[in-house]
Amino acid sequence: MTMVAVAGREGASEVERWTLPSARDFETVNALIAAPLLERGSWSWRVWWTAFVVSVALTTVFLIMIFMVFTRGIGIWGVNTTVVWGFAIADYVWWIGIGNAGTLISAMLLLMRQKWRASTNRFAEAMTLFAATIAGIFPIIHMGRPLYWYWLTPYPNTMHLWPQWRSALIWDFWAILSYILFSILFWYVGLIPDFATMRDRARTKAPRAIYGALALGWRGAAQHWYVYERLHIALACLGVPLVVSLHSVVGMDFAASLMPGWQETIFPPYFVVGAMYSGFAMVVCLAALVRWGFRMESLITVAHFDVIAKVMLTAAIVMGVSYATEWFNAWYGGDPTDRKLVAFEFTGAYAPMFWTMLACNVAIPQAFWFSAVRQRISAVFLISVLINIGMWFERILIIWNTLSHDYTPSMWRLFIPTFWDWVTTFGSLGLFAVMYLVFVRLIPVVSMHEVRRLIAEERSS
Amino acid sequence: MNVHPYVRCDEPSGPSASGLDRRATLRLFVSGTALALASCGRPSEQVTPYVEMPEGETPGLPMRFASALALGGYGRGVIVTSMEGRPIKIDGNPRHPASLGATDVFGEASLLSLYDPDRSKTPRSDSRIQPWSAFEAALRAQLERKKLRHGAGIALLTGRITSPTLVEKIDGLTKSLPEVKWYRYEPVDDDAVRAGSVQAFGRALTAIPRFGDVRVALMLDADPLGFGPEQIRFAHDLIGARRSHVAQDSLRLYAAEPAWTLTGAIADHRLAVSHQLVRNIALTIAGELGAAAPATELPPAVSEFVKAAADDLAARRGAALVQAGRSQPPEVHALCHWINHELRAPIDFIEPVDRVAMGHADALGALREDLDGRRIDTLFIIGANPAYDTPGDLQLAEAIGAVPFSVHLGLYEDETAARCTWHLPQSHPLESWSDIRAFDGTGSIVQPLIRPLYDSRTAHELLTLVGGSTTAGSGYDIVRNHWRKANNGNVDFDAWWRQSLQDGVIANSAAIPAPPPSPKLPQLTPARAGMNFTLALSPDPAVFDGSMANNAWLQECPKPFTKLVWGNALHMAEDDAHKLGVVDGDVVQLTHGRHVTEMPIITRPGQASGTLAATLGYGRSAAGSIGSNVGVDLYRLRPAGGAWVIENVDIVRTPRRENLLRTQHFFQLEGEAEELQPRLSLADLAQGHFAFTKPDANPPTLYPQTHYDAYEWAMTIDTSACIGCNACVIACQAENNVPIVGPDQIAVGRDMHWLRIDNYTVGGRPGFSPVPCMHCEHAPCEPVCPVAASVHDSEGLNVQMYNRCVGTRFCQSNCPYKVRRFNFFGYADGEEYKGFGADIVKAVFNPDVTVRGRGVMEKCTYCVQRISRARRTAEKEGRAIRDGEVVTACQAACPTQAISFGNLSEPQSSINAMRSEPHAYALLGNLGTRPRTTYLARLQNPNSNLGKPQS
Repeated sequence: MTMVAVAGREGASEVERWTLPSARDFETVNALIAAPLLERGSWSWRVWWTAFVVSVALTTVFLIMIFMVFTRGIGIWGVNTTVVWGFAIADYVWWIGIGNAGTLISAMLLLMRQKWRASTNRFAEAMTLFAATIAGIFPIIHMGRPLYWYWLTPYPNTMHLWPQWRSALIWDFWAILSYILFSILFWYVGLIPDFATMRDRARTKAPRAIYGALALGWRGAAQHWYVYERLHIALACLGVPLVVSLHSVVGMDFAASLMPGWQETIFPPYFVVGAMYSGFAMVVCLAALVRWGFRMESLITVAHFDVIAKVMLTAAIVMGVSYATEWFNAWYGGDPTDRKLVAFEFTGAYAPMFWTMLACNVAIPQAFWFSAVRQRISAVFLISVLINIGMWFERILIIWNTLSHDYTPSMWRLFIPTFWDWVTTFGSLGLFAVMYLVFVRLIPVVSMHEVRRLIAEERSS
Repeated sequence: MNVHPYVRCDEPSGPSASGLDRRATLRLFVSGTALALASCGRPSEQVTPYVEMPEGETPGLPMRFASALALGGYGRGVIVTSMEGRPIKIDGNPRHPASLGATDVFGEASLLSLYDPDRSKTPRSDSRIQPWSAFEAALRAQLERKKLRHGAGIALLTGRITSPTLVEKIDGLTKSLPEVKWYRYEPVDDDAVRAGSVQAFGRALTAIPRFGDVRVALMLDADPLGFGPEQIRFAHDLIGARRSHVAQDSLRLYAAEPAWTLTGAIADHRLAVSHQLVRNIALTIAGELGAAAPATELPPAVSEFVKAAADDLAARRGAALVQAGRSQPPEVHALCHWINHELRAPIDFIEPVDRVAMGHADALGALREDLDGRRIDTLFIIGANPAYDTPGDLQLAEAIGAVPFSVHLGLYEDETAARCTWHLPQSHPLESWSDIRAFDGTGSIVQPLIRPLYDSRTAHELLTLVGGSTTAGSGYDIVRNHWRKANNGNVDFDAWWRQSLQDGVIANSAAIPAPPPSPKLPQLTPARAGMNFTLALSPDPAVFDGSMANNAWLQECPKPFTKLVWGNALHMAEDDAHKLGVVDGDVVQLTHGRHVTEMPIITRPGQASGTLAATLGYGRSAAGSIGSNVGVDLYRLRPAGGAWVIENVDIVRTPRRENLLRTQHFFQLEGEAEELQPRLSLADLAQGHFAFTKPDANPPTLYPQTHYDAYEWAMTIDTSACIGCNACVIACQAENNVPIVGPDQIAVGRDMHWLRIDNYTVGGRPGFSPVPCMHCEHAPCEPVCPVAASVHDSEGLNVQMYNRCVGTRFCQSNCPYKVRRFNFFGYADGEEYKGFGADIVKAVFNPDVTVRGRGVMEKCTYCVQRISRARRTAEKEGRAIRDGEVVTACQAACPTQAISFGNLSEPQSSINAMRSEPHAYALLGNLGTRPRTTYLARLQNPNSNLGKPQS
């Protein structure tokens, strides 16, 4: 990420600034961010309400789906004897991948002193938290007997039964659990100074009391800032290995198996990059929406989209190389099963999806080589949506291709999605939207204190 | 006063007008308590408490009884296992010549029919429930009228009857009422076979090949390994004759057939020829053997095949055999008798066990004529369903509906029941006393395992009523009296009776073979090529003639070649389908004469061009909740003569498509099949020209070596011996409480069979390999389970703990063999398919095996309950389990002993010997799974003069 110049943009053009001149002083920034929450009457919430109603409707179907799964069984999905995993697992991997970017932006970029992260990290972290939470739902509802999910935990019991530590699913369980706990902690710690600002700016009683309680007595004392900075950096140091290990473990869910197309040492790093890729793509989508919805053009600038596009371009190349490595290894390794699986990927029943995936994940993002594309928010947004679709295809195809075309041709079967499969996927998007919409209405969507510092630094340099 | 309805309150009520007084309250309280304690009154009869167990019965220990079950009227001996009075498993009877200890799908599945909730439960007339007494009264009135006319107008319509008691009963009836007519037919008839023997020998004789003595055989569209009452015995003998690894001692099989048969699949040389050409082949063979047969033109490939076969046959006189199939005309059968006579073929000839001389088709024709002429006004249909399973041309259903007094005795209220004035529920064979003869004449007493579940009667009991008796009498007395008379006081009858019941076989009852007269050489003209398409019919591998259509186990039993379930399809040769522009699942319209039917097609490589093939037994309209409206009824297309081959069939495509429900889909493979199911010629075997992953191969591993102290169970499956008959599949289903899932679930790719039979085509030849769980020593399913529900036990079994399973299905994703099965719904646990969830069906469950709930993974256990039973027995006797003491359900069912099971830690065990055979291999052994289930490669004995095996 060194290719991004850090600060010193006083003389830079509009498209190169992290903040625009209109957000030049601290009060403007505070007002810009806090106003939608504290002075609601002066904002039009029509779009918000429309989005909320739609996403609540989607969430309701999602909940109905969960009810159906619990009462009728997972047979309502298209999973079958051969392709025993389906949308639930693909959705899980997809969401957990999306849940990657917030931590990367906050923690990794913090450690790398990428100042521009200041105006994006809050809503990216929120995205992480919600995505990881939704991802956590899938491993439970996908089980045949979800009521016994706690058997994956090492709780004391009279029968001395213990989880099976060799299983990647147990590693996965701990990885998700620790990641969600970390995400909550990291997010909350970063919010404390802002909650204090909100408390101080609130004009009515209830917000003052609630934000005050959440601010944990923050007074902005030098000692507070000192402790805060230490804690934040320390958490960031914890977060980076955690995010890498989480996605490595998700990769090992597949890699620690015997199946062709899964049993590959490249999977852990490849999953980390893939997660970052889809996570950044989702951040772009949310950034564009937040920027538009809260009129944050002065804080989320074209330069942000430009730099994230560059990150995604790198990821697209890494993904392409990873795919090519898989194909090369299948050929070079000489195992006929692996070779036939690659042939099946390109020509089999799921080939149209596979080609779409390659287009979305590798080919189309090459447009980011051109600054004209990178600096056009609509283009970056569109490509990011395509990347997210492509990454979802990648997740489902990892499952479908291998399971549909493994060692035993007599059992080769295809997966045909059912109505409930689609509900599972789109319903989870609805649930995410609900959580996100509630978040933007209650919590400062951009970190005020970090943006203030960014402005100070941009001004001083 | 508000009083409990069951309390009699005949005393005057108390003085209190407002409510109860103290005394009344107490009285009510006491009587209420007493009622609560003994709310069901004691039965009026004398009851005996279960203080002392019935002799021999121990709760939890099974009892086994010998009996016999009919298929096409012929018996197959069975041993039925009963748990606390409830039959739960059917096995073969080793003493019975038509079973030899093995079973077939139909025998295994008839257990489920016993508990079928759709069975008829009560007599009905005009669709109203009636008591038996009402029927008896109606019958008496009807018979009174008939007696004066010596029974004129009375007719019996039955299937093939080989029960000596029943035959005697019918004889008695026709003696007392000489005008009574008896029509006998089976939908799966043997008219041509029988007529052929009449042509050749001047009288009907049944030819029973001694396959054990045969070394070269040519099958002319004959299918001795195919489904029918002789299947188990013939498969046993034929495969037995192929076991030798010395080419000279191993039976070499040639087959020429229009469509695939199980025999053709296993043959060393198999030629796809049209139905008509088969006759010309027979003529050519006869010519080669010196008959003055007219010269026939054969295509070069056929000619080469026939020449090689004829030479081979002629060289092995005394051990050579030519057999024609039921669809060939009588002349071809007669010609084969002549050829076999020339070849001194090892064939036993016996007097037909079925004594009725009139052919099946002729009987139906005569019945139709008599019905048309109003010569029948009292019709008794016993155990048959002519409204469904007779040729459509006859239109018997309407004719039967016009009979003024018609009685149908059957297991189900089927198509015929709906057209009769009376329907009577028939007892299931497992509820009945009867007797039956096998195809070779061996008699068995059929003894009931359970009191009739419903108010049903047997054919014996009904015929007793028809015979004029006022009561039906008991089946037991009827059968016993027959045999007491038959034994004529020569022996100690009680001892004889007990022995016969115990053995399941009546001693010395098999027909004694007698040398036949010299066969005449029939005058045959070569057949001309058929016009248009020729449709070859056959009984279905799953539902046979359709009488078992309501059996869910059979409906979900994958057909050997196509793996089709829940329906039938039209099999088309590849090039025909290509010409017509249709692919699998496209619906075509078949027209023959005025009959039109539509059905989906399946292309079959290796089927003769111009030949269409399909199975009977589907398209039932009143089979029950399971079997109705499944598949297409081809009886309707059958001409009045009941032929197995319909020539000149028109076929056109329709725009419709149907989803074919198959448990295996077929793909163009690139060498996988050769690895998964290798084939070897005996010459290759002798020269060691092959490289397999040996069962004892030790691929590198990081896991520690496991040591077992006592037993190491292992299974070996000989793919040379597997004929694909599915007996093991249904046996496993019955033994292990494997549920059925129904067509909708099959359509989405779910099935539950723990044991599947993989069908791969190598070199144009299909082959079968049963695939149960491999019980890998390094099982990929074990390390991936997060809750350790899939673990190894101390005897090397890979066990699945249902109550620990949380259903992540990682084990199945990681299983290279894909042998695990998941309960996506509660298939046996509240979400059953249609009638399968009825309470009565639960009686079929084996109490030794857990019934799995929803959300749980399950798989083959190597019948761990049988291992446990053997271990308990051995421990009680203070010894180790003996070699061969544990027999898995699939192993027991297999007619050809393709499956062996045993203990690897016993160096002398037969399983060790089999695993060290040169052609033993581990399926996907290169993955390092070290499977305990291993295979023996399929061996073939091709004629070196004929190049490589033909497809």
